[in-house]
Amino acid sequence: EDLSVVGSWSSLPLHNQYEVPFWTMTLPEASGGKINVELTTHNQMSLGLGDVYPLLGQGVYDVAMTVGDYAVSDAPELEGLDVPLLALTADDARAMVDAARPMVDDIFRDRFNSQVLAVAPYPPQVVFCNSEIGSLADLEGLKVRASGRMTALLLEALGAEGVNVSFAEVPGALQNGVVDCAVTGAGSGYSAGWWEVSTHLLPIPLGGWDPVVTAMNLDKWNSLDAETQALISSEIVTGFEDLAWASAQDALVNDVACLTGNGECQTGEARSMTLVEVSDEDFARARDLLTSEVLPDWAERSGEDWAARWNESVGQVVGVTIE
Amino acid sequence: MELKMIQTLRALNRKVALLVGFGLLACAAFVLTDIIMRRFGTSLGGTEEIAGYAMALATSWGMSYTLLELGHVRIDLVRTRFKTFGRALFDVFSMIVMTGVIITIAIKAWPVVAHSLTNGSRANTPLETPLVWVQFPWFAGWVWFAIMSTLTTLCALGLLLKRRHTETESIIGAFAEQDTLQ
Amino acid sequence: MIPFVSVGLLALLALSIPVGIVLFLLGFGIDAFFSGFPLIRGLGNMVWSSSNSATLIAIPFFVLLGEILVRSGVATRTYAALDRWVSWLPGGLVHANIATATMFSATSGSSVATAATVATVAMPQAEKLGYDPKLFSGAIAAGGTLGIMIPPSINLIVYGFLTQSSIPQLFLAGLIPGIALALMFMLVTVIICLIRPDLGGLRRTFPIAQMLRALIDLIPIIILFAMIVGSIYRGWATPTEAAAVGVAGAFLIAFAFGGISWDMLTQSLTGTVKITSMIMLIVIGASFLNFTLASAGLGRELTAFMEGLGLSPLGFILVVVVLYIVLGFFIETLSLMVVTIPIIVPMVLVQGYDVIWFGILMIVLIEMALITPPVGLNLYVVQGARKSGSLNEVMLGALPYCLTMLAMAFLLIAFPNIALFLPTYLQ
Ligand code: NA
Ligand code: NA
Repeated sequence: EDLSVVGSWSSLPLHNQYEVPFWTMTLPEASGGKINVELTTHNQMSLGLGDVYPLLGQGVYDVAMTVGDYAVSDAPELEGLDVPLLALTADDARAMVDAARPMVDDIFRDRFNSQVLAVAPYPPQVVFCNSEIGSLADLEGLKVRASGRMTALLLEALGAEGVNVSFAEVPGALQNGVVDCAVTGAGSGYSAGWWEVSTHLLPIPLGGWDPVVTAMNLDKWNSLDAETQALISSEIVTGFEDLAWASAQDALVNDVACLTGNGECQTGEARSMTLVEVSDEDFARARDLLTSEVLPDWAERSGEDWAARWNESVGQVVGVTIE
Repeated sequence: MELKMIQTLRALNRKVALLVGFGLLACAAFVLTDIIMRRFGTSLGGTEEIAGYAMALATSWGMSYTLLELGHVRIDLVRTRFKTFGRALFDVFSMIVMTGVIITIAIKAWPVVAHSLTNGSRANTPLETPLVWVQFPWFAGWVWFAIMSTLTTLCALGLLLKRRHTETESIIGAFAEQDTLQ
Repeated sequence: MIPFVSVGLLALLALSIPVGIVLFLLGFGIDAFFSGFPLIRGLGNMVWSSSNSATLIAIPFFVLLGEILVRSGVATRTYAALDRWVSWLPGGLVHANIATATMFSATSGSSVATAATVATVAMPQAEKLGYDPKLFSGAIAAGGTLGIMIPPSINLIVYGFLTQSSIPQLFLAGLIPGIALALMFMLVTVIICLIRPDLGGLRRTFPIAQMLRALIDLIPIIILFAMIVGSIYRGWATPTEAAAVGVAGAFLIAFAFGGISWDMLTQSLTGTVKITSMIMLIVIGASFLNFTLASAGLGRELTAFMEGLGLSPLGFILVVVVLYIVLGFFIETLSLMVVTIPIIVPMVLVQGYDVIWFGILMIVLIEMALITPPVGLNLYVVQGARKSGSLNEVMLGALPYCLTMLAMAFLLIAFPNIALFLPTYLQ
């Protein structure tokens, strides 16, 4: 069985450390040579991020993985997979994603004609600021670079202003005050040198965890025999999903250490950003805004049925109910 | 008759191009306004998104003007070695191929619109632009280009059959006789 | 697959099918013969997402900027002023072409827009003063490529975006190599014209008073440069947005130094649409071709090839240079960058090279690709501005400058500080 597989960003650890070994070694070996994989990535194909899943549904390739957020244009209900600030640790995030999984399965089947195989995390999306920040409340009135609609709405509810700046232009924008803060993965911010131009780090997932969904074209999936289906489903959990999740928490701790110098940095030279501890009151307020403004807004966009399903699954796990 | 038709198409597409040009100008003004407003601590928001849409629309609707002004780049190293009849054959052949490709693009552009239509897709941005609002006019631009390309090809074929090869060259040759840049 | 693409490309281009359409046809061919997957289903999405791009809107903005400068007479006066200063050199007005291109490069992020602007003002002079069309037009095509080396630069923005490196640092790094290249172009022109004086046309000297008075005509361009680059470094505008600042600046300058009329406005706008669509048909075709090439495994072939060589860092970088020269013949430059950066840059960094430095080296190679046939946009743009003569002449005339760029690439490898001095020093 030949599979053409489109991976996530080729430059990021998720692809190099987990996607590549799984699709090029683990799975072909476990199948005893029955499965052959041709692996590329969406950026190597110069695919638009929003095109990855629609083309998967049309059968242009067999398997694709990218951040679920890029698909919310076509499926607003998918925003419920990655709600900011509800999961503070990797374990919580995984519990949340697992609870959302049946919803995600349905969304991908109906919207993109595909079968979900796995959901793995990117590092959580934390906040870099170039001025003194003591709490979440201090974000009020600041210009913040955020990606994703739900994060932007939360920032607005917090009194900040969401600004659209592309990743590469963030350092310049931070340096010159075009933005005061910017949200991205801690590891990406470290390797792109954001610590040069920002002073304070809020290590909370204000931008969520950016779960990466791996899915297979549904026609292709249905054409496989039950044995192969079972093999892929089980191998991808043990050979990819579990490993990626297991390292997520350590990666966050390490990246924060590298950025702030608090703790041991194993991936390079430690920097000296100021680590901002967020108080419980801050959290309470943010979650309050989330449940009173941001999530009801999402419920309206995606439809009451999805909100109800979310309440019964993800909501139960994280202890939040959309009114 | 063919020449008259081409004149009409040229006049029509010049108007379209002017409209596209003013659209681009408006986009520049919009970006500039945003830059100035940011100096005063506020922002229009969404300039990057709107600039992208402007580019997509300008591209699809500007194509046929460039076609009628003979602006799409062709390599004529071999073609120039032939006399008028041979050149006319090259020109008509390349127009037929081009028309085929453009029609294919126009047809394949529809599923993009249809996908957004069935999903009610909105941009993943604070503006939440319904994508169909942009994608439908974008699609229409490619259809327009396909129609213009087909009509031009038919005119050229007509002239070729009437053995008016010099005139064929004037409407689908490799370079414009009078350059619009001058 | 590579032979198929190369032969197919040459054959279809020889049939004089429009370049952009040829790229689509090759994409269809790869889909049909080299890929087990129905890639054509992705055609609509590729056309949509390659044109729905906020970065690319800098192209029409920079073209419009050039059109306004040309049609208000500002560009012609700049050209005449630089003519006063450099035409005493062997080669005469050819130096004015290079100097003008260098100057406009500082206000334009696009090589094609730069070449279009200079070609429009310079070409009538060549015919009037009896210059050899080869060297004269080749110098414009080559000088125009500086548009992406001297800041601002669309291609450096794209590089910064794809490699997640700092765009302002890349801009700083491009400054010295850009100016050095311009000087080397002039040096090469002098050498050629000393050997073959008939190629250079008239050498002319002007009284000092005239030369000094001409400096006034350079002021508009200097103001424009200050506006564009200043807005980036003051943090008022992103590098892409700065193109819009440039358009506004061009209007102000045209208003102050030339004049704006309805006719001029409409001609500038339709001219912009014409050039933009010409470029975009090629850009869109190229991105569809890339998509099919990547899907059919070009990335794997490249990676396997490079890794299989097992070279030292120096050997590796030399292979990269050769690779870009070869691919640069056939692939449009923006797509060339988009498709190769994710594959090549990580390998280059592993060899211990600096990401900013490699960005500049790549830009030199991309500049070469812009003036090498059969796919060399600058050649077409310059040819498009001529009233007579064939494309061969432009290609031939660009050849010495091509070799100069190659020399520059080697200089960069030998002395990385040519690129890295400014960004390091100004840190
Ligand atoms: Na430039
Ligand atoms: Na080339």
